[in-house]
Amino acid sequence: MIKHLKILEFALSSLWRRKFKNLGLIVVFSLIIFTLSSIVFLTYSFKREAVAVLKDAPELIVQRLSAGRHEMMPVEYMKKIKDIPGVGKIVPRLWGYYYDISTGGNYTVMALREGLQDKISLMEGSFVVGSGSCVVGRGVADARFLDIGSIMPLIGADGKVRRFRVAGIFTDESNLLTNDLVIIGEKDFREVFRIPQSIATDIVVQIYNPTEVDNIARKIKEALPDTRPITRREILRTYDTLFDWRSGMVLTMFLGAILAFVILAWDKATGLSAEERHEIAILKAIGWETSDVMELKFWEGFIISSLSFLTGLIGGYLHIYFFGASIFSPALKGWSVIFPEFRLVPYINIYQIAVLLFFTVIPYMAATIVPSWKAAITDPDVVMRG
Amino acid sequence: MNRETVIRVENVSKCINRGRPNEVWPVRGVSLEIERAQCVVLKGPSGSGKTSLLSLIGCMSRPTEGRILLHGRDVAKLPERFLTEIRRNTFGFIFQQFNLIPGITVKENVMLPLYPTEMGLTEIKTRAERLMKKLRIYERRHFHVKGLSGGEQQRVAIARALINDPEIILADEPTAHLDTRLSVELIEILKGLKEEGKTLVIATHDPLVYEQGFVDRVVEMRDGRVI
Amino acid sequence: MILHPGIIALLVGSLIVLALLLYGSVLAVVILRRWDIKSSSEFQLGLERKTYLVSTIMSFVLGFEVLAIFLFIYTVDDLHRQFVGAMCATGSLNANPVGWYVLYVKMLLFFISSLWIGINYVDQRTEGFPLVRFKYGMLLLVAPLVLVDVYLQSRYFLGLTPDIITSCCGALFSKEGGGLSSSLSSLPVRPMRYIFFTVLGLYVLAGLISLKRQKGIFRGLMGIFSVIVFLISLASIISFVSLYFYEIPTHHCPFDILQGYYNYIGYPLYGALFSGTAFGLLTGFTEILKKLFPSLEKINRYQRKWTILSILFMVIFTLISLYPMLFSSFTLEGY
Repeated sequence: MIKHLKILEFALSSLWRRKFKNLGLIVVFSLIIFTLSSIVFLTYSFKREAVAVLKDAPELIVQRLSAGRHEMMPVEYMKKIKDIPGVGKIVPRLWGYYYDISTGGNYTVMALREGLQDKISLMEGSFVVGSGSCVVGRGVADARFLDIGSIMPLIGADGKVRRFRVAGIFTDESNLLTNDLVIIGEKDFREVFRIPQSIATDIVVQIYNPTEVDNIARKIKEALPDTRPITRREILRTYDTLFDWRSGMVLTMFLGAILAFVILAWDKATGLSAEERHEIAILKAIGWETSDVMELKFWEGFIISSLSFLTGLIGGYLHIYFFGASIFSPALKGWSVIFPEFRLVPYINIYQIAVLLFFTVIPYMAATIVPSWKAAITDPDVVMRG
Repeated sequence: MNRETVIRVENVSKCINRGRPNEVWPVRGVSLEIERAQCVVLKGPSGSGKTSLLSLIGCMSRPTEGRILLHGRDVAKLPERFLTEIRRNTFGFIFQQFNLIPGITVKENVMLPLYPTEMGLTEIKTRAERLMKKLRIYERRHFHVKGLSGGEQQRVAIARALINDPEIILADEPTAHLDTRLSVELIEILKGLKEEGKTLVIATHDPLVYEQGFVDRVVEMRDGRVI
Repeated sequence: MILHPGIIALLVGSLIVLALLLYGSVLAVVILRRWDIKSSSEFQLGLERKTYLVSTIMSFVLGFEVLAIFLFIYTVDDLHRQFVGAMCATGSLNANPVGWYVLYVKMLLFFISSLWIGINYVDQRTEGFPLVRFKYGMLLLVAPLVLVDVYLQSRYFLGLTPDIITSCCGALFSKEGGGLSSSLSSLPVRPMRYIFFTVLGLYVLAGLISLKRQKGIFRGLMGIFSVIVFLISLASIISFVSLYFYEIPTHHCPFDILQGYYNYIGYPLYGALFSGTAFGLLTGFTEILKKLFPSLEKINRYQRKWTILSILFMVIFTLISLYPMLFSSFTLEGY
């Protein structure tokens, strides 16, 4: 036991003596871990956010399909659904997208309906959406420089501009869902988008017994063949797959970078300086065994990877949770101008760390096995041949 | 005094690059016996095989042919792992170059051979301090070896060779890089070690060494053979 | 194929290990064919030096397998949301039954590589390296096993399609289900508990006796016993040990105890069980080797060390399993 500690101590001192030589390796290694951990943290937070948001989402949503595309839904469909046993309250929803020419942003516009207030809680101002007023998300407010009491214009389907007074702004701390949201009254919604009273965007179905969801979804599909029931579970799964797939994609692309690093590590470990070679020869001559030298090399690798791993991991954590993923945001903003300001809830677990270890430290350690063995089998009498 | 044979070399040869065009035999058919507390000098010009013989005796390398008996035990065919262990317990080496590790302190250099053993750090420190005091380098213990004079470096190397309390001390051309004054100083130290009862094997062609009174036997070598 | 970070990590890691082991196997073949301990040629010296490389590779493999078992279970657990009916790792494993074999192979790899490292440790400290041929022959068996692991693992992950409706621990380990797994959980608690503690007690006793009297037979017994203890412990974890951690009388799941919700208690629990079994196995196995290779006589002191370690780990395992039974208000009486 004590033997290993002494060798570890010598490994520390020998790394310290060559700190500038090893610094380059540590910097590159840390950068790789920083990038990878940023990706893993980001996708995990997205996933968790999606789960958190969908926790309050309706158990079942029914949409109408026409030629495989989402179509507006006649309100009379509700009657047929109502007749299915086990179905509770049914609420029609009205929502759509709005392209804002002046900012170039896409907003989600939603009509107020009962129960919506309870679901989106955090905000400043008030949730009074009468005729001519609205509640907007943080992203919309920032894009248009809106404040409580400002005017938010929407151009209707008839080309006329309608003005809405901002009554409240969402400040939901995880604002992935509310960021681009504009909520207006139902009557205003139908006027702006010219939607007749008889139809809705889709229908939210409440179900008494959660284990019956799949069953009822099937029955709805049978009763109304042109509809598509979407269960919450299904959405969650899609989100999961989507984010896993995304981070998997990015990580796969990074395999190249990791490979490059492994080659660098191999090269560093193979290309020992004359001074280092001489030092190992001295150790062998004064009574160190091959396995002792290999242990020394192992500790050196261990220290380098632990140091880089911690640096990279902490860097990635700060980057995502305290600096709002500032390096990634230009790339992510591509899909919408008002992509949420990242203020993700810090989250880290053993699994993420284990995955990162597998991607970085294991290839590194594997790459240094053969070179450190080569160094360790130096003939002990080499110093005598001098 | 007990005339016990410590090392017996029987018809030992060493070949390098066997079967290749650059095949060489630095040691050929050497037989030798060394008794406890004897001082034996291997004398000969450079390339005569004395360093190779020294490394064979010191379990640094294995002979191609012949036997080497250490206290009656044949070590010639032992795997490196066991050779290292024997070396660590039995031998102390003083090299031609001092072979100290630059960048670490005198004390660490002295302690280094015992790092890969189960000996506790305090015990190693006590040993090192005692040796450093004896060899008058205790004041320099926190210095890096680069800042030391040649004589001090030599004494650090000797302290390192003695840290495992070896029974046999092997010295390879110990005076080659020293001026006369330092050589005399070194010889005094070697003499002292012999008086303590250590067995000494010294490879040298320096008359200052082999003409000393405490040398019991001079073995002359040439072309890998004893003459 | 599910492009999940954990899956990629596992596959990449397994490929690295496979590559290293193939290299190691090539070295092993050379060593097997040309090894001659009596020769003092430079070639033999080179072979001796290569053994250091091979043992390092095997240590790496063992370290990797330990991590990989946990990462595998964790990944499988993380995947469960994608399968209808899955609530934990069990559900994901059922989504493609090959998954269970991956788990078994990984466990087997853990035990074989730890056995190898133990044998290597002994051999390198015995003059003449009597076990070289045995060791490197054994190594040639490890490489194909890793190949099988890589193959099954890829087949498992590639065969996962998210719409599979699967059954989870609730169904698999329920008393009503069929097959081995449900018979495990429907094992009556009271006799099972007696068997569990009796077997553990006997094991520790056998270990203690073998420490006291240097008789080989008890060490051999430990080897056989460790396998029995391992299997009975796994069955007991499913049957009743885990229930005390969940405090639900019907939740027979061997994986949920690894989750943070249960304070990761599964890690020390399984860690102690696996380590205790590995050391017991090693003690028994080297006892057999001692009969075959007389020059190994001197290894008693290592066996002694392993016996102590094995007992220690098994006691830790027992204490962890016992803790909630003694200190929680939850009781299984009547089930």
